[in-house]
Amino acid sequence: MRKVFYKSGGTIASALMLTTLVMSISACGSNQAANNSTTPTNSPVASSKSDNHSADQAPVKIKYLTYRVGTHASAKLEAEQIRQFNEKYGKEVEVQVEEIPSDSAYEDKIKILAASGDIPDVVMGKNGINDILIKGNLATPFNDYLDKDPEWKSEIGEEAIAANTRDGKVWSISDQKQNIGYFYNKEMFEKAGIQPAQTWDEFMSNNEKLKAAGFVPLALMTGENAWTTNLILASIVGTSGEAGNKFMNTLHPVDFNTPEMIDALDKVKTMLQQDTTKDALGAGYANVANNFCQGKAAIIANGPWMIGDFSDTTKCAAGFDQKVGVSAFPGNGMISSYEVGYMIGAKTPETRDAAEKFIRFKTGLEGQRIALELGNVMPVSDQVQPSEEFKQKYPLFVESIEVSNQSKIHYSAFDSIVYPNVTDAWKLWYPELVFNKSTAEEFAKKLSDIAAKNK
Amino acid sequence: MVNHKGYIVLFLLPTIILFALVYAVSMVILFGTSFTEWSTGLKPVFVGFSNYTRMLFEDTSFKEGFWNTALWVLLQSTLHVLIGVVFAVILNMREFYWKFARTVFMFPNIISGAAVGMLFLCMLNPDFGVVNSFIRLFGNSDYAQNWFMDYATAFLSVTMTWLPYAAVVTILILAEIAAIPDSLFESARIDGASEIKINLFIIIPMLRNIIGTCVILAGTSMLQKMDIIMMTTGGGPGNTTMNLPMYIYKTAFMDNDFGYSNSIGVFLICFGIVFVLLIRYLFRIGSQ
Repeated sequence: MRKVFYKSGGTIASALMLTTLVMSISACGSNQAANNSTTPTNSPVASSKSDNHSADQAPVKIKYLTYRVGTHASAKLEAEQIRQFNEKYGKEVEVQVEEIPSDSAYEDKIKILAASGDIPDVVMGKNGINDILIKGNLATPFNDYLDKDPEWKSEIGEEAIAANTRDGKVWSISDQKQNIGYFYNKEMFEKAGIQPAQTWDEFMSNNEKLKAAGFVPLALMTGENAWTTNLILASIVGTSGEAGNKFMNTLHPVDFNTPEMIDALDKVKTMLQQDTTKDALGAGYANVANNFCQGKAAIIANGPWMIGDFSDTTKCAAGFDQKVGVSAFPGNGMISSYEVGYMIGAKTPETRDAAEKFIRFKTGLEGQRIALELGNVMPVSDQVQPSEEFKQKYPLFVESIEVSNQSKIHYSAFDSIVYPNVTDAWKLWYPELVFNKSTAEEFAKKLSDIAAKNK
Repeated sequence: MVNHKGYIVLFLLPTIILFALVYAVSMVILFGTSFTEWSTGLKPVFVGFSNYTRMLFEDTSFKEGFWNTALWVLLQSTLHVLIGVVFAVILNMREFYWKFARTVFMFPNIISGAAVGMLFLCMLNPDFGVVNSFIRLFGNSDYAQNWFMDYATAFLSVTMTWLPYAAVVTILILAEIAAIPDSLFESARIDGASEIKINLFIIIPMLRNIIGTCVILAGTSMLQKMDIIMMTTGGGPGNTTMNLPMYIYKTAFMDNDFGYSNSIGVFLICFGIVFVLLIRYLFRIGSQ
């Protein structure tokens, strides 16, 4: 009797455990439509069919990934834009936000999702993502939407639209304009007896004078995307003449072996070897921003979004914002380009319309105003002007606009024009230049070889 | 005799299904697409063996990555395991400090690889890092060695972020030592054997199987190592610290060449299989 009891009990227990195991496997694969889901949800077709929008029905759900979270410089503006959009359009569109911890993690995730053809409904097309989506036929152009909404078209502006148009199709809508020069420590400049340089020879000479006065001239970095170093490199090339300026305004260059590029690399090599902090080689953005904010370097090339940091006492010493000036690069040049911005990745008419509504809000006058006030982001439209309160709080931003308006030569940053694998290559190969393992010509050839890998 | 085969199959079924869905299918796709040219958003196009010929005969970065990986596998499966074994034998002596030492030795292994990478990035920073700051105390106030970015020290610096921390090996060895019958030690002591002779001629020979297992675990861990390299050097300077997993990532996500990266993945799997079989043969794992 006991044996029978144990045998049947064991059978029941075994069956229960097996059922639990199988259910746990199927639960792992089930769709979870939570706001913070880390796996892609149901396809937009299924969700939109069950969420057809009408005044009486549930809002259309769209999926949006963002890396502008946490300590990111644009986290506040992102949160505010989403909040205001939800306030205004929450009954029509539900934005399912997934937070990604960094720019590079965002790019990797979008590439993985693009490989499986399951991208979010709204995608930021930065750093080559737009190329992938266009080539893979995963994005919807904005032409029809813009034609139906001339007001939105005028809010973005013809220049910004043209910057993201290929073969007559507008693939993305820009959310900001980059106007980048360099910031300098006015106190250090005064003690060294120098002014912002008008030529690159004067720039190199100023570095020597700063060193003689006991200061480190430049906050450079070769880690991550070598951002601050490459802003200077781009400016040397971009202001070198017609050929250099054309190079820095050409998308996806494949031949870096040009006289302008080689000369620029030689200058940057000198700067990295002699005119920068000890940790420049391999340093990331956090290191270089800290070096400038803590008064360890006199100059940092960067955009106006950094201005808010100068008065932030968690990043810079109190009163540091009073010591900072802004200048165009020698030759009166500035990096001036439109960000790639947002793309529609949605697959159904309902979700496309909802995605367009979200992007329209973010890139219209309201969204641009929020970005300016909370992120110090240069708006794409001239119709958006800083408020008096903003001007009082950030006079340096006003100064940077004036400098930008006065600059005569404009070009793009390397990140905006080169292939993603070239952007990734700087951090590996700059040490070759600095340690004299490569000449500038060999370095340029290596960049060309890396660019040639792209199909 | 009760037949349990039905239950065995039933309970193994979920695992088999999971393995098939997650691993087996993925490996078949990996192998198949390694013969294609495949970029994100485009369909794979069959190109025969061109990915493999490019990998083996043309790609110098692959070769550098392979040799770095092979060297790390060798170092990890020898020095790393040796450190773990020696530490385990010392701990087995149960001196007064042994529990404290065992706990402290475990710390680096319980921190995530990314956190370890960040930690070393700060410790070895040329400007404010604790290592250079300590060296400056001895006179050279300008000392600013860039440990991760100098060609002379990059490989060694990256290696030191994982080589000495053999706590997992130590734990496994200690557990195996605990399973050795005490009668063997008593007999040896009665015969006049010293502690060193007991360690060398009784304990260590009886650890053959577990040491072989640790060699396999340590070596194959180098075939997956990417987190610390990504956090510290990214594979640089140049290709000095590039390994195959890092190169697979760059080929797939930076060069947007999934076909070629999958062929490197197939190579890596084969490398791992050969390594495991070789160690099993050398250590005669599983045989008496």
